[in-house]
Amino acid sequence: MARNRVLGILVVAAVALATGFLVAGQVRAQLLTPSNQVARYQALVRSVQDLVKANESSRAKIASLRSDIDALEGAAAQQSTTTRALQNEVADLRAHAGLTTIHGPGVQVDLRNGTPAPDVNGQIGYLINYQDIQDVVNILFAGGAEGISVGGRRITPLTSFSGSAGQIVIDQGPPLTAPVKVVAVGDRNRMFAALEDPSAIPDLRDREVRFQITVTVTGVPDVKLPAYDSSLQIPHVSTP
Amino acid sequence: MSAPHRRPSGPRRRPRRAIEIWLIALLVALVATVQIRSEAEVERSLVGTDTTTLAFLIDDLHRANDSLAAEATDLTQRRDALQAGGSSAADQELTAEANRLRAIEGLVPVHGRGIVIVVDASSLQALDLQDAINNLAAAGAEAIAVNDHRVVIGVAIMQTPNGVTIDGALVPPPWTISVIGDTNRLAEAADLMTQQMHSDRRVRQATYRVEADVAITAVITQRPFVYANGS
Repeated sequence: MARNRVLGILVVAAVALATGFLVAGQVRAQLLTPSNQVARYQALVRSVQDLVKANESSRAKIASLRSDIDALEGAAAQQSTTTRALQNEVADLRAHAGLTTIHGPGVQVDLRNGTPAPDVNGQIGYLINYQDIQDVVNILFAGGAEGISVGGRRITPLTSFSGSAGQIVIDQGPPLTAPVKVVAVGDRNRMFAALEDPSAIPDLRDREVRFQITVTVTGVPDVKLPAYDSSLQIPHVSTP
Repeated sequence: MSAPHRRPSGPRRRPRRAIEIWLIALLVALVATVQIRSEAEVERSLVGTDTTTLAFLIDDLHRANDSLAAEATDLTQRRDALQAGGSSAADQELTAEANRLRAIEGLVPVHGRGIVIVVDASSLQALDLQDAINNLAAAGAEAIAVNDHRVVIGVAIMQTPNGVTIDGALVPPPWTISVIGDTNRLAEAADLMTQQMHSDRRVRQATYRVEADVAITAVITQRPFVYANGS
């Protein structure tokens, strides 16, 4: 009798579970049927997530390999004065190319999205976009920055900015979205003055008023910039 | 002999059965809720992102990951060479690295396959030139010069009352932009850029040509760090 009762309960549970799955499946199917949009989105988003994971893993590998190379070069430099001289020269070039961490006095620029509002140009003016970041980076370099990082990504001599609809792609990194932190090492007074110049970043200043985008500049006594962790290849360039 | 004692059925068993039914009902509700909520979360995370944007993003990430893989392969080879050789291998690696970095930083003349864009326009601004250079950099430019002035990120392109300056030197139009890099990607970018420029009233002429050997002789003088320290 007790066995039959247990069996009965199990059957009821199984039927109830199956009903639950069927109901959920039906609701899902109803959501998907009109255009199958969600399923397509899911597939695309999954692809993006997988690619971002692969991207992060590759960048970590590159950083680790550069560190290994640095250590091996350091060990070789202990044995030869020629190697030591070459290593010092390369260390300076690497620092200027953004391949090593640096620190020093500087500024931090925080850029935050504004409030959605109608935009006559059909643009998404309340979002911080890649051109805003490009403009701020250019102004900071013009104002004497010796090194810059954006959202933890170091800027190199070959850096490019791209993206769309509030997404900011820097070099080979995955996209960033606001809030974005731009950090620069250099002469704080000059960089402050460059950013404060009303003609410096006219589009951003205009959108600060229209969409309440916020651009905050803070002086920092000692900021640290990470080393560049992506590709810096020039396969088409030859030197005479 | 007394009859076997039977466990009472009736009111004492009813609460137990009721609990079982409630548990099953809860389980069913939980499964259904999880299914429906996960669906809603996907929808929410995609607000404002259309499929075209996602498709472009995937394309960019594929290209980026290929570049990263190439860099990792190159670095692995360099590390292996250093491990295998002694200081002579290190000297070789360091010399090659120094030459490469000098070219990247614009400190030495360079040449290679590329494109040359000519833009003749009145009242173009520094921002226009910065955008053009960024578009070319995004298309894989490895070295750029404008009217024989070397340009890398960090070289100031400024607007002055007299016109646009590059590193303090006035650069009047027409602008000849010499670029070294993958000609397929650069030509694609240049095509789009010149098409856009043609619709700009300020632009009198905007053309580009692919060249087998673009020579960039202009160089940048490196400024030593004053504020930055290595860590």
